[in-house]
Amino acid sequence: MKHMLRFSFSICFVLLSFLGNAQEQTEIKNDSTVAPVKKERYGLRIGVDLFRLTRSFYEKNYRGLELTGDYRVTRKHYLAAEIGNEDKTVDDDQINFTTKGTYLKVGFDFNSYQNWLDMENIISVGLRYGVSSFSQTRNSYQIYNPNQYFGISPVIIDGTQFDGLSAQWIEVVAGMKAEVFQNIFIGFSFRLNRLISQKRPDNFDNLYIPGFNRTYNGDFGVGFNYTVSYFIPLYKSTVKINDKEKQKK
Amino acid sequence: MKKILALLLITIILSSCEKDDICADESTPRLILEFYDVSNPSTLKSVLNLKVKGDGAPDFIVFNAALPATDPNRYLFNGNKLALPLKIDGTTTKYSLVLNSTNVTASNEDFLQFNYTSQNVFVSRACGYKTIFQLDSPVAIIVTDEETPESFWIQNDNINVQNYSIITENEAHVKILF
Repeated sequence: MKHMLRFSFSICFVLLSFLGNAQEQTEIKNDSTVAPVKKERYGLRIGVDLFRLTRSFYEKNYRGLELTGDYRVTRKHYLAAEIGNEDKTVDDDQINFTTKGTYLKVGFDFNSYQNWLDMENIISVGLRYGVSSFSQTRNSYQIYNPNQYFGISPVIIDGTQFDGLSAQWIEVVAGMKAEVFQNIFIGFSFRLNRLISQKRPDNFDNLYIPGFNRTYNGDFGVGFNYTVSYFIPLYKSTVKINDKEKQKK
Repeated sequence: MKKILALLLITIILSSCEKDDICADESTPRLILEFYDVSNPSTLKSVLNLKVKGDGAPDFIVFNAALPATDPNRYLFNGNKLALPLKIDGTTTKYSLVLNSTNVTASNEDFLQFNYTSQNVFVSRACGYKTIFQLDSPVAIIVTDEETPESFWIQNDNINVQNYSIITENEAHVKILF
């Protein structure tokens, strides 16, 4: 009986100590979720478009360079810009022309991706306003004549240059960026362009616009880029608890 | 995420319908001649077995392309609306028009020379350029007879230029009474 008492007492004691332990642990847990403040990095990201760069090597009629940059304004919003230069010669059946010019696109990206822990990947949608200033050279052309009774119409070597052309457009951008090494990001984006206005050459048309790419009937265009960029962290900002709680709900 | 997918889809759709490379627009027009009855100038009159050859062209104009190349009837035109191509790299085009060409005694050859200036106008990416013409005013057309003179079947007074600008083939540019 004496043994029995001693045993039950010690059991109770052990259980109590567990209870105490458990309580202590939960307390620590609560502390740990609140105490370390989540900080996110803000800064400037600068990159280059590899798609245009590599195309310059393998495509004889194309030379282009595009630099990209974005600046994180809020948790989800980035100011974004691209600046580039293109020199492209298009050889179509009826016409051969060269377009040279510089473009600038300014806008914003909205990051719709919820990152885990301290990852900084981006899946974004955005808008850009693009302007381009360029010149076109009509190298040669052919008269389209279905009635070739007097022979096939010859190719007319021309070389007329149309300077001071310009275009403005809006782009809808969908893209993603992933951090592959510390501060190094790789990303790509698809773009859907809509011309707002353009200055057309006399008796010719803007068949290619630097930055906008090939023009289609109906003022639409598409674009793509593949970027490698470097993130320059400027400051850190604390993620507000309110924000986190809102997201949990 | 849904937005992005939708955008990607639109992009793919747009890039796939890229082929606007087939010329479907209006291209270089021909000169349209209409033949009318000289005794009744408001009614159309068909020419009979007309053979047409351009100065500098290798052969007569083919009007019945369905016939075999050896058939002489390929070159015969019977109708009241004749379309003649003009030289796009010149200012004159001369045509020989032989009426009743199948009949040795009744055949009659007259020459029409068209004087004009031309202009190359941009159409589209697929078509490139077309040439439009402006007939010289007042002397747009000169009629001459063959070397051994016979009577003209086209009288100079009976040529009426309706439209000096040749931009489309929709309307007749020249009316000829005979």
